[in-house]
Amino acid sequence: MLDFSEGFTPATHLLITLAAPLVGAVAAWLLGHRGLQAVRQSAAVTSLITLALAGTLVLRFLGSDAATAGGFFAACELEWFVSGPLDIRFSVGLDGLSVWLFGLSALLTVTAVFVSWDAVKEKAVGFYGLLLLLEAAMLGVFAARDIILFYVFFEFTLVPLFFLIGIWGHDDRRRAAVKFFIYTFAGSVLAFLGLLAIVLWHASHTGVLSFDIATLTAGLTSHPLPMTPEWGYLQLWVFIALFVGFAIKVPIVPVHTWLPLAHVEAPTGGSVDLAGVLLKIGIYGFLRFSLPMLPEAAAIAAPWLVALGAIGIVYGALVALVQKDLKRMVAYSSVSHMGYCVMGLFALEPVAVEGANLQLINHGLASAGLFATVGMIYERYHTRKIAELGGIASQTPWLATFFMLFTFSAIGLPGLNGFVGEFMILAGTFQRAWSGVSAEWSSTYLTLSLLAVAGVVLGAWYMLQAVERVLFGQTRGATAGEHGQHAHDLAWYEVAALAPLALFIVWIGVYPSPFLKASAHAVTASTQASSEAFAARVSASPTQEMAAHTTSNQHAP
Amino acid sequence: MVENSVDPVPVLLALVPALPLLGCLITILQGKLLGARAHLPAVVTIAASAVCSLALLAGTAAEVHGPDGGSEHPSRPVASVHTLWQWVHVDDAIHGVDAVSGVDADAPEDAATRPFAIDVVLRIDPLTATMLSVITCVGLLVAIFSIGYMHGDPGYPRFFALVSAFVFSMTMLVSASNYLIVYVFWEAVGACSYLLIGFWFRKPEAAAAAKKAFLVNRVGDFGLAVAVFLLWMTYGTLDFHDIVSADGTIISGILGQTRLTNADGIVGGTVGTAICLLLLLAACGKSAQAPLHVWLPNAMEGPTPASALIHAATMVTAGVYLVARSAPLFVACPDALVVVSLVGGITALIAGLIATVQNDLKKVLAYSTISQLGYMFVSLGTGTLLGFTAAIFHLVTHAFFKALLFMGAGSVMHSMGGVIDMRRFGGLRQLMPITASTFLIGSLALAGVPPFAGFFSKDEILASLHARAWPGGHGDHAEETHAGADPLSSETLATSAATTIVGDARAPFAMASMKANAADGHDASDHANDAAHDEHAEATTGSLNNPTTWKAIWWMALFTAGLTAFYTFRAVFMTFTGPLRVPEEAGHHAHESPPVMTYPLYILAAASAISGLWIFSTDALGSFLPATPSLWAPAVASTAVPHLFHWDIAMQGTLAAAIGIAIAAYGHYGRRSDEPQMERYLGSLGTVFANRFYFDELYVITVVRPLEMLSSIAAAFDSYVVDGLVDAIGHLPPSLAGVVRRLQSGLIQRYALAGVMGVLVIVASLVWSLKQ
Repeated sequence: MLDFSEGFTPATHLLITLAAPLVGAVAAWLLGHRGLQAVRQSAAVTSLITLALAGTLVLRFLGSDAATAGGFFAACELEWFVSGPLDIRFSVGLDGLSVWLFGLSALLTVTAVFVSWDAVKEKAVGFYGLLLLLEAAMLGVFAARDIILFYVFFEFTLVPLFFLIGIWGHDDRRRAAVKFFIYTFAGSVLAFLGLLAIVLWHASHTGVLSFDIATLTAGLTSHPLPMTPEWGYLQLWVFIALFVGFAIKVPIVPVHTWLPLAHVEAPTGGSVDLAGVLLKIGIYGFLRFSLPMLPEAAAIAAPWLVALGAIGIVYGALVALVQKDLKRMVAYSSVSHMGYCVMGLFALEPVAVEGANLQLINHGLASAGLFATVGMIYERYHTRKIAELGGIASQTPWLATFFMLFTFSAIGLPGLNGFVGEFMILAGTFQRAWSGVSAEWSSTYLTLSLLAVAGVVLGAWYMLQAVERVLFGQTRGATAGEHGQHAHDLAWYEVAALAPLALFIVWIGVYPSPFLKASAHAVTASTQASSEAFAARVSASPTQEMAAHTTSNQHAP
Repeated sequence: MVENSVDPVPVLLALVPALPLLGCLITILQGKLLGARAHLPAVVTIAASAVCSLALLAGTAAEVHGPDGGSEHPSRPVASVHTLWQWVHVDDAIHGVDAVSGVDADAPEDAATRPFAIDVVLRIDPLTATMLSVITCVGLLVAIFSIGYMHGDPGYPRFFALVSAFVFSMTMLVSASNYLIVYVFWEAVGACSYLLIGFWFRKPEAAAAAKKAFLVNRVGDFGLAVAVFLLWMTYGTLDFHDIVSADGTIISGILGQTRLTNADGIVGGTVGTAICLLLLLAACGKSAQAPLHVWLPNAMEGPTPASALIHAATMVTAGVYLVARSAPLFVACPDALVVVSLVGGITALIAGLIATVQNDLKKVLAYSTISQLGYMFVSLGTGTLLGFTAAIFHLVTHAFFKALLFMGAGSVMHSMGGVIDMRRFGGLRQLMPITASTFLIGSLALAGVPPFAGFFSKDEILASLHARAWPGGHGDHAEETHAGADPLSSETLATSAATTIVGDARAPFAMASMKANAADGHDASDHANDAAHDEHAEATTGSLNNPTTWKAIWWMALFTAGLTAFYTFRAVFMTFTGPLRVPEEAGHHAHESPPVMTYPLYILAAASAISGLWIFSTDALGSFLPATPSLWAPAVASTAVPHLFHWDIAMQGTLAAAIGIAIAAYGHYGRRSDEPQMERYLGSLGTVFANRFYFDELYVITVVRPLEMLSSIAAAFDSYVVDGLVDAIGHLPPSLAGVVRRLQSGLIQRYALAGVMGVLVIVASLVWSLKQ
């Protein structure tokens, strides 16, 4: 496949991008004896090269047919475990669902490397090596077109992060790492069973044992998993199995409690990748597998998931409001914000789904930025307790400015990226509630969408309360003491970590259209089946749509 | 309506917001370098922006009045829209909306799908041109004033960057032609306000006030967000303007010509009323109307020039702008209209009462702003063309005299070493004659003393309200003939039929609707044969919408006029008359402010003195604003009345003002300001006023504490129940526990080895397959 005679084909480009972090990890290991500076410089170079490769690949994607007409870009496959009936291939490619997450992974690794620049000095070889392994795994998850390959990368994201938390974490790092690992691993084992069930069903009904995701999707469209009592509602069970795995990743309330612990104990670099990318794999899994492959089950589950999303928004916000640890508060804000993604996705309206897909990127940027700045605050004042901090804006104004920007993005201030996704999710969900569900569901849906809009107020409350206490006011506690006197403003490597995030936060906020367009086709395609199944369920209900709601006045004459 | 792109209008229209944005960026990037000259980018760009705005205003006025330059009523709507860039586009987002709107008769009823398409489109029409001119001109004067006021502040560049950012956001807000883009800049001005209130962030009060302002505004924004969702569901678009696509089909915007000239174009009934009330909620947040007014007094923690610009002259009027822009929506829902007036009337009264006992000069002005904005809402709620134009008229004059008063207060504060408590100084006219005399002019304008600006605009508001409260020939039996929908007497209606805007395009329709009006007293948007709609309207016409309510609002407004005169002159007398006293914070430097601060005061004083008389006597706004599509809509335009001066109303307003000033003079003129004068007569009422009717305490008890309690419960539930269950499950199976133990006992390296082996397997298999 690696045939350079055709020039630098997209497929070659993708393979090199995937391999680059691995090469970098080896390079960091080889340079280990030359000290910290060499190691971190090599890691930075690797992550920048990978970002350049991934960035240009995204640009090539945008110029391709895949961006406008759907389908995979840079598709290529290598035989991997091909023996007898097994046909597991190392097949990779990018489509509208994965392209931005792929780019985000590369971008956030750069941030992760630079925020660790001064924070990680012990066992740096291992740290940066694992960080680059994590990048390879994240890029692989989004590039995989083979269901087994996806699962391998999916699991493999856990391993580097487990060690990053367990070794370079804070006081309670062992417990956090183990809880994180066992919790998410238990979920993904179930998800694996679900994926296997899909493969086996497909094989037994088409006679082809395929692990190719596109083939499976097409096969399951013509031979859907049964939703009848005689088959024991098999499709629903498969959906539940996948759901458990993905829901823990997202995480959806109530299976979220590993997240605050993991974040609080993780080193900053790990938190950046965890919040920025790894949480997105759950939603990505729904979009890639559950919705297109199991539409009837998804249609049944949709109202429940909209409810869980809305509850998560408010619940996460409420819990965040009383947190005393700044990082824990940001972690709960992630729980709240991922609630928007879940709600938007399962509203199954085009506007909401595209908003949810964009919100993955938005939350990735904002939460990574918040975790990074919280880490920088910790570096300076050696505490994350909100009560111990105050008046940071007068000591380190640029750090405060970035923190403010990420806060504004997180609370969905218009003009920044968070607003676009949040608004589309809420508008689409509202549309679903108003005219897209049966009468008996309508009031529930309306209540949920209004609850979610109210969550926007709560979201502003806890974030701005933290800003008021941490950034503003007089210095106190740790900031008034010795640490405060020596606190310096952002160093060059910290600017390098934050500035790219800020750039994209403003860019997506002001001009989101290209970001939405590139994904529109793929997102619509993968939710269409579920959306139609949901519509069928609604129209099958005894009472008709709620259109009467809106039309009573106009049709009167 | 879309014009050629070769004319200068789109360029000017884009420059108005773009220049301050440029100024903001330059200040951010080069603030340190500019040092004490950091005001230059802001002042220069806002000045250029003001020139562009005035050019647009002149151009629009010329277009409205036609080539002959006459001041006849406009015969056609004047508006043009210019697309900047596409913001969001989602294909096939909504189905069957055309059937809902009932406007696009050509479109097949069920097959139509619409994209969720949001473009950044700017518009220019008389309303926008007026708003742009006020924002940029006042913005320029405030920026110049700030050169002196903010001199030497460590955050000098930051201040000017924020002011530029605000002018950018505010100009975008009033020129956007889409509800979602309005929402975007609605929150953007809120963010600028947040950052300016918290400008001196080291002060805990300032930090808390900033947060409070943002959160209270977020509650209002909740209303705007849901209103936007409902508009999207009802109309299938969020654009104001019509879009003519390449194949000639028209997508009618919410406030576009196609819809406005169609009798059923605007949705009334429950949905329409819900939309209007949600828009009102948003307006209450931004314009500090009860019960969301609590943030504005605290916002005085910000620098005084910011208070003058944002929290008096411009941003807080965004709510008035929003309602005026959405006039056709409100006129279709009489129930919503009466709520607008009622909210405005109650707010005006409450804020006026609170202002009478405030001792902080800026707080007096803050409550006065709330009260005057309430006046504008009263006027908007009448739902007549006179009411809408009067609200904008008052918005303009209020921007001048309230900015003047705030900057006067700033000048006092500057020279008093930051002290603003009126009890601690007095007799300042001896020290600061320019500030004192300009402040007096502003006060005369605010109090509504003829011939100063506030008198005329307030008079027009009272006139529009009077027409509602005493609908002429209908008298007290007006309920039977739906006075709620037709405030005008048959006489005025007959005259108006002759003099109103009778456009060429819609003349037959306008005449028909006038007849319908005269016949059965219904709103012009209702056809006479529109039986179903009528029934609906009758069913939902609440008990609120009757002349008694309007009479109550009238008396509230008139009483507030007296209150306004009282508290304004109480402040004037306490600050500038009596024996000269200066607080020790002022040191020996208590003196008149430098020219860079007094010249803006002169200019605004001149505007406050003559703008009202000029605008009234030439009917400058009355003949100009009705060409705005929203006000040109037949439903609104049909309520037009001849431009008259009502002696009886003017007398009542002037009398109220005179009584107020007289009481203030009796209590405070020439006395020491630290001796309580009027409060003793109020007794326990005074305590209620001084405690701001306990609004803040009520919010703490009913909203803040319960939510905090709920949060604590949720957090405890999360730690002990949700997470506790997880841990319990995790410890149940001994085998799993064994795994945990082993993982915890230092075998992490082994796992690392496994991980690395895994990677090696992947890499090896890759290499192996490459060889194949």
